[in-house]
Amino acid sequence: MSSNNPSQLLPSELIDRCIGSKIWVIMKGDKELVGTLRGFDVYVNMVLEDVTEYEITAEGRRITKLDQILLNGNNIAILVPGGSPDAE
Amino acid sequence: MSTGGEKASGNTKTPADFLKSIRGRPVVVKLNSGVDYRGILACLDGYMNIAMEQTEEYVNGQLKNKYGDAFIRGNNVLYISTTKRTLADGA
Amino acid sequence: MSTTEEESAVKEPLDLIRLSLDERIYVKLRSDRELRGKLHAYDQHLNMILGDVEEIVTTVEIDDETYEEIVRTTRRTVPYLFVRGDGVILVSPPLRTA
Repeated sequence: MSSNNPSQLLPSELIDRCIGSKIWVIMKGDKELVGTLRGFDVYVNMVLEDVTEYEITAEGRRITKLDQILLNGNNIAILVPGGSPDAE
Repeated sequence: MSTGGEKASGNTKTPADFLKSIRGRPVVVKLNSGVDYRGILACLDGYMNIAMEQTEEYVNGQLKNKYGDAFIRGNNVLYISTTKRTLADGA
Repeated sequence: MSTTEEESAVKEPLDLIRLSLDERIYVKLRSDRELRGKLHAYDQHLNMILGDVEEIVTTVEIDDETYEEIVRTTRRTVPYLFVRGDGVILVSPPLRTA
């Protein structure tokens, strides 16, 4: 009964509105990714393009650039529409 | 990944579309542990179990092992990427 | 699902395991464990029964004085064992000389 949802916006609809735009993905653990969302499925597995991956390691922050990825939805903690605050 | 459940409007690309497009292509599979596997994607299933060929194992960016064929259990997979990639350390 | 693809009978990842039955395989497990043994049986969770197994456990210690990393590998053999699938990271069949 989505009519009982006071926000009138399902979480999946929010993600759907992000398709084609930048999205910031914070994983469980010390990983974050920023990229353009191309699509997702019911598990919130996501296809991202022009991705920057940030890994917080003992030696500092490691940055990896990736063309196109399928991100496993299993370890996603938080999604932020619009990209990260420290975007270049 | 059977269905994406999303309408294929314009340039959306669901996980199912992505998986179809990368079979037989060189890929990087990154695990939650941070280990990377580079190789040719043979096939995969709905659990993100992956079969790869000519697989190279990288730990902290260093080549540690090679496998002719490799099966990777899907629960360990963080992402599957098309290969072109550059590395920048530090910051 | 297209059905016309023919590539060494590997249509889904588990086929790679099926083709390794009765062969010696390499299994990488969580917490830096590795196994080499003959694959007798497996299921869809990747629970496996291996025979004539060599187990290799790798540990890294930090030397108290020099702070150097000391990598130790411990090996032992087990005649017959069951591997629970949820600990499995990677399975590699023997190198097929082609």
